[in-house]
Amino acid sequence: MKTSADPVRDYLSAVEREGSALPADRRQELLADLAEHIEVTRAERPDAPIGEVLAELGDPRTIAATALAEAGSALPGAPARSGAGAPLRRGKVHPLVPLLMLTLSLPFMMVFPDLPGPLFGVLFRITGAVLLCTSVHWTAVQKTTGVLLTAVLPSAVIATWNLSGAPAGTPSLVANLITLALLAGAAAWLWRVRRA
Amino acid sequence: MEPGDSTKQARAAAQLRKGVLEYCVLALMRDRPRYGVELLHALEESGALATSQGTVYPLLSRLRRDDLVTTTWQESASGPPRRYYALTDSGRAALDEFTRVWPGFRNAVDAFLTTPHPSTGDTQ
Repeated sequence: MKTSADPVRDYLSAVEREGSALPADRRQELLADLAEHIEVTRAERPDAPIGEVLAELGDPRTIAATALAEAGSALPGAPARSGAGAPLRRGKVHPLVPLLMLTLSLPFMMVFPDLPGPLFGVLFRITGAVLLCTSVHWTAVQKTTGVLLTAVLPSAVIATWNLSGAPAGTPSLVANLITLALLAGAAAWLWRVRRA
Repeated sequence: MEPGDSTKQARAAAQLRKGVLEYCVLALMRDRPRYGVELLHALEESGALATSQGTVYPLLSRLRRDDLVTTTWQESASGPPRRYYALTDSGRAALDEFTRVWPGFRNAVDAFLTTPHPSTGDTQ
């Protein structure tokens, strides 16, 4: 540390300069913390040379780099966090989105039985299943159970029903409602066991 | 940038410190609130956890933002008022959780470092 009229001010300006990429409030907070540390240390060890106190505090660049890393990945010059941030962003969809898509695909098909209603319903179901599988809110076992109950099973039942050439009407409505209850139950279960 | 051998060795210690430092800081506040300089002295005396003092303040700032600690100003008999750091309920919960998993973690690492591993499926 070069001798100067005010080494403390020089030191704090160096931290401010090195931490210029920090949001202003974080930078001010850091400077206030360091200034307070210097003041307290000087009061507790009045005989210690100021150069020693500042040397113990450390290199302004290292401190600023640590503050940038703690501040998170959105900031430039913080490569330490950007690697960890990327996989976190994946699957950051609200857990209600896949559940609603999976549950509502059936009533959607019931309300719009003519094309392109069923097509949209199937797309809803597939998208919901994909979102469920890529979500961070469930374990692999829960995802498998969820996809089986909310997508595979209803699709299989509906396909079997349609292929068997059963007439549309009351039995079809009852079957649809039973399937819907199953969907809603499975979605409610997924909602309850989700991880925050 | 190719770091030298000594830098690589220092990196092992730095990586370990990065992982455990915040829990050691929380542990220091377990029994009573502490102020910044006091926390730094305790870390320094530990040896292995000693770090460039100034880098602990960004950590304390994050703990505060994450609501793991709260701060209060207290007057001092000597010098300026000190900002005291105290555990919040979630800070205490985080510390308890770390305290719970640490022995298993430590033992697992010890086992890897000390037990001779047979190179084949031979179990002696």
